[in-house]
Amino acid sequence: MAELACAGRTIREINAEIRRLLKEGEAVTVSSPGARHNLGVALLESGVVVFDGSVGYYCAGLIDGARVRIKGSAGWGLAESMLSGEVIVEGNAGNSAGAAIRGGALVVQGDSGARTGVSMKNGLIIVTGSCGYMSGFMGQGGKMIICGDAAEAFGDSMYETICFIGGAIADLGNDAIVAESTDEDKQFLDTSLSYYLPAALRGNLPGAGDFKKVVSGRKLWNFKKSEWKTWEQAL
Amino acid sequence: MSESSSPPRVLQKSGIFSSGVIEDIQTKAESGIYRIRGYGTLRERRWATFDDLTFLPCALTRIPLEGYREKCSTKTVLGSRFAEKPIELDIPIMITGMSWGALSYNAKVALAKGASEIGSSNTTGDGGMMAAERESSKTLIYEVLPSRYGINVRHMQMSDGIELTIGQGAKPGTGGLLLETKVSDAISKQRELPVGVDQRSPARHPDMLGPDDMIIKIEELREATGWQVPIFVKLGASRVYDDVKLAAKAGADVVVVDGMEGGTGASPAIFQDHTGIPTLAAVCEARVALEDMGLYGKVQLIIAGGIRDGVDAAKAMALGADAIYIGTAALIALNCNRPLYVDDYHKLGTEPHFCHHCHTGQCPVGVTTQDPELMKRLPIDEAAERITNLLRAMTLEIQMLARSCGKSDVHHLEPEDMAALTPEASAICKVPLAGTRRVWGS
Repeated sequence: MAELACAGRTIREINAEIRRLLKEGEAVTVSSPGARHNLGVALLESGVVVFDGSVGYYCAGLIDGARVRIKGSAGWGLAESMLSGEVIVEGNAGNSAGAAIRGGALVVQGDSGARTGVSMKNGLIIVTGSCGYMSGFMGQGGKMIICGDAAEAFGDSMYETICFIGGAIADLGNDAIVAESTDEDKQFLDTSLSYYLPAALRGNLPGAGDFKKVVSGRKLWNFKKSEWKTWEQAL
Repeated sequence: MSESSSPPRVLQKSGIFSSGVIEDIQTKAESGIYRIRGYGTLRERRWATFDDLTFLPCALTRIPLEGYREKCSTKTVLGSRFAEKPIELDIPIMITGMSWGALSYNAKVALAKGASEIGSSNTTGDGGMMAAERESSKTLIYEVLPSRYGINVRHMQMSDGIELTIGQGAKPGTGGLLLETKVSDAISKQRELPVGVDQRSPARHPDMLGPDDMIIKIEELREATGWQVPIFVKLGASRVYDDVKLAAKAGADVVVVDGMEGGTGASPAIFQDHTGIPTLAAVCEARVALEDMGLYGKVQLIIAGGIRDGVDAAKAMALGADAIYIGTAALIALNCNRPLYVDDYHKLGTEPHFCHHCHTGQCPVGVTTQDPELMKRLPIDEAAERITNLLRAMTLEIQMLARSCGKSDVHHLEPEDMAALTPEASAICKVPLAGTRRVWGS
């Protein structure tokens, strides 16, 4: 695995070198990332990149195909607008983790901040801990698995994102409802958690049958006077 | 008293509860929701506009260029601050972002073709990039909007500029609307939304809030595009002076300011009529903001919002704009509000020249619709030619005015080339009121 030290390099130089190494088929370990912003942006090759420490805003943003591991925590907008690939954080993630992703998988092995999965269009987000305020807001598709608790306004104004929550929900968002989980849902949870999480982490998590399923009530999809009680919060 | 001697009947209309207000109240009493429509503000009470300025062509103090033949450059360069490949256009008039969804496929492709033919640019809009739009555009600007519909880094890398849209003039501070009749199968697929929803876009970007975040966001966009193309920041005109300074400080190559006369495919009517500041005021504030930062001429300024012709454009450029976006004017060139298919205007309860029903998706002339039959009324090549012609005519108008003011480059127009016709315009634009040597309010 190729090694790339961040010290003495600009973000532009670091990202250019990561892309060059990926193109040559090398896996890359990036040392001393120092929580700098915009590390690993727009990686369009399918190789592996490991950040050996915490990263700042927009790490692995706009990627298509890369597999990124962060041995630390991440700032805002982690993996935002990802088309495909895999991003694993061995710590916490800041606000807007997985914002607007259209594919791929984001795994936070800790807690995530406000607006986790906001405007996600597709793909998968797994958070082993809890998520912050307004997570899932305006989710259009894909699935989000929160193993811990959800803060207020969970799943607000969603279209077709499906959320699974293992802990307590402080407050459901506008038009979010708890739906009955199916056997297929439980199978999906089992498969996803087994695939993306190491056994040591899985032991402390709820079982597939313990997750609640939260989806859109579809009352906000089109304006109807009869649904005013829902709309008065949402308009 | 006999009937014949009665005084003539005089109908008195309330100045408060006018016909329009009565209709508005009664419509809301039926629907239970705010009014939604397209087009732009319908306010009749006027504010200071470009019509309140006039050019002062040369006489003895300055020498004009030959009006019809002497060289007057229109070449426009945008994004020379940080981008390695600034945008170079043959003319200073550009097509603003209007989405595939708000507009028909044919309209989008016609705009791209028509603009490219004359060396101008086109912009994607909410919903991402169409393949045909890229193929038909010589210069294409990719909008990154709060909704992030269709966001695709590979499309960004195929573009000639990135526009980070914070807001737009018709509805600053709120997101766009696309009502169910326009969320067709194709649009649903493009935006990854259920077919037939009343789509309401978010007002805020999902992964940034204030200007400090935007500094990092702009760097991310540069990383995504290899620092090659300019980054625009587009603002709805509200607190223009401060917002322009913040955008420039955040690292924008180009700032776009969209005044309250800006159009839209659909938004709450109250936003179109009662939010934001006029384009005339916006360009003046934006210029001062850049001057105060020492960035005027280094960060380019694009002005949008109700620009109708080369005269408006020339006045905006004289006040400080480097380039001009047009939207509604381009749609009108595509036949918007033209008296064709008049029965279909009637079905919408309107008439040619009065139509603002873009939100319905039933555009009689095929511009703002997703209905395949209506769209056929807008043949792409004919429509593209009208766009080219409009852009050419507007450019010639700017050149004529510039030459008459003695300028060999349209970008040399300056406030001193104009006088104000009203005290308000004088105060806003800091140009003397005609007939005086006085700038009002100074």
